[in-house]
Amino acid sequence: MRLLIIEDEDLLRAKLVKALEDSDYVVDSASDGKTGLFHGLEYDYDAAIIDLGLPQLDGISVIKTLRQKGRIFPILILTARDNWADKVEGLDAGADDYVVKPFQIEEIRARLNALLRRAAGFAKPTLDFGPLSLDTTARRLTVNGETVELTAYEYKVLEYLMLHPGKVVSKSELTEHLYDQDHDRDSNVLEVFIRRLRQKLDPDESLKPIDTIRGLGYRFNVPPNTKR
Amino acid sequence: MSLPTPNAESRYSLQTRLLLAFGVLLVLFLGLAGLVLERAYQESVEAAVRERLQLQIYALLGVAEPDDNGFYLPDVQEARFSQIDSGLYGFIFDMEGRELWRSPSALNLSLSVADFSPPVPEVGETLYGVLDLEGQGELIWASYGTYWENQEQEFSFIVMESAAPTAAEIREFQSNLYFWFGLLTIFLSIAQLILLRWGLRPIANLAEDVSAIESGKQDELQGSYPLELVPVTHNLNLLIKRERERQQRYRGMLGDLAHSLKTPLAVMSAALQEIKNGGGLGPQQRQDMEEQLARMDQIVSYQLKRAVEANQSRLLVKPVEVEPMLQRIVGALQKVYRDKQMQAQCDVSPDTRFFGEESDFMELCGNLLDNAFKYGGTRIHVTARQEGRTLLLDVEDDGPGIPPDKRSWVLERGARADTVRSGQGIGLAVVVELVSGYGGEIRIGDSELGGAKISIRLG
Repeated sequence: MRLLIIEDEDLLRAKLVKALEDSDYVVDSASDGKTGLFHGLEYDYDAAIIDLGLPQLDGISVIKTLRQKGRIFPILILTARDNWADKVEGLDAGADDYVVKPFQIEEIRARLNALLRRAAGFAKPTLDFGPLSLDTTARRLTVNGETVELTAYEYKVLEYLMLHPGKVVSKSELTEHLYDQDHDRDSNVLEVFIRRLRQKLDPDESLKPIDTIRGLGYRFNVPPNTKR
Repeated sequence: MSLPTPNAESRYSLQTRLLLAFGVLLVLFLGLAGLVLERAYQESVEAAVRERLQLQIYALLGVAEPDDNGFYLPDVQEARFSQIDSGLYGFIFDMEGRELWRSPSALNLSLSVADFSPPVPEVGETLYGVLDLEGQGELIWASYGTYWENQEQEFSFIVMESAAPTAAEIREFQSNLYFWFGLLTIFLSIAQLILLRWGLRPIANLAEDVSAIESGKQDELQGSYPLELVPVTHNLNLLIKRERERQQRYRGMLGDLAHSLKTPLAVMSAALQEIKNGGGLGPQQRQDMEEQLARMDQIVSYQLKRAVEANQSRLLVKPVEVEPMLQRIVGALQKVYRDKQMQAQCDVSPDTRFFGEESDFMELCGNLLDNAFKYGGTRIHVTARQEGRTLLLDVEDDGPGIPPDKRSWVLERGARADTVRSGQGIGLAVVVELVSGYGGEIRIGDSELGGAKISIRLG
């Protein structure tokens, strides 16, 4: 999952970036509204965290412009001013949720998780596909009720595919959303992860949850259990 | 309280404006009155002269006796006719303009028919005129037409009088008039100045009063003001009172904030002491610290919100349209609580308005609705209607509700921030503060939906 953080307070931004990278997100950050907006328009993000009080271009304008230009990724606003006028203005402008400063990093993680899940159309924190069940809060996979251990990268790949079910996801999209820009984008590594995932999800090869579309990418093909 | 200094360049003071206007009016009025009076006096003097001349003519007629050469006037009563150059002259002409008689006073007068050919009056008619005779100045004359028994001819009797005394009289009157009018102008101007001072005194008093308040010598506008100023002074006093209340509230809040932060600080410093004393950072100390930090955070946000509310002043506010505001808040909350798929129903009577600050109303509704979305299950019902200037707002949900034994505690006002326990939302506490700030009422009841029903009465 690739995130954009626009926050002018250096210390807070650094802590946020660190904490979210520790949670296996790929994070880009900007310290002013203009740069932030540029990133938001230029790259494809899964979600953004935007502070309302920003230099050069305020958060509300950034959000409005992103929405006007058709960027639909979920936006979480940070505000130091805990009043409803500001919250409602931000949500009206196109944000999806807010967090008031000061906050616990846990709070941000939980809200982000919910936003990403909702953006993919899931109402619950658990993504259920046939026998597969991914708990996005506990970051745990169960197959037929049995817990299956996943490495961090395996989890990231699976979560991304599950949040885009039925859609063909190219290798480059996957690497872009799962790795840092400076990461060595060796597609062989990705193929290795996918192969291992298939073994863990479907040891007896009865489900075949991940299709390989030659030359295009991968597709998660199990229909979700709940109404999306 | 410091008032912005009004533009000192403001062109004319009230006093100058009134003085100028009245001054112009006074000069115009007195000047015009002087002219009219002067004119009237002149006319009356002229009328008197005419009458006098007419009488002299009658006197001449009374004593005139015709003889062969003309007329013979043996005993003229008026002495001035007999005294040479007396200024009063009599003549008798016939219709051909021949002089038949002249009074002894006119013997020196070089008057000939050539210079003086008065129009011939009809019998019984008197004509008047002015003649400028060299060496004599102006002469006012009256000519009366008559005829005599036994005589075929008609005659004109003419009497002249020097105009100098009359003119002098008029000049005298004029100078008197202007002197007194001048005096009157000065007197009226002074009177006007005094009256203006007196009339505008309350405004000057007001300014003094205000500056006395500014310098802290008094608390409010004192003394009685004239009826026209009462609305202003009343509103000013109200403004001052609110301002002072607000200051007090701020001071109180600052005190509350400081005091309520002391307890968590004390706990933390005790925990720190334990660590220093060699206990190390155990789970207990860590938990203490986290709890106290959360508590401090809550205290700060609660006091901040109270400070925002204290900002309200009900003077000069634009009423807030309730319906669009509720829709905005509900729309925003639907986003935040999208997972709940909440069915929110808003029933707002048309034209329902809130008479107060928009931000206060937003805070109030935001907190109430946030609670409803948070604790409600699937349904929320908001109703708003108006009675006069009073706004009635009900927010209901289908959540667990608030148990009756906790209601009065929740509604207790002015509960200091340190009694707000950690983990407990401050939303309703803020609503309670806001409602009481507007002098309104708040009740907690049971909703037909099954959860809590918060009823608010504002204004």
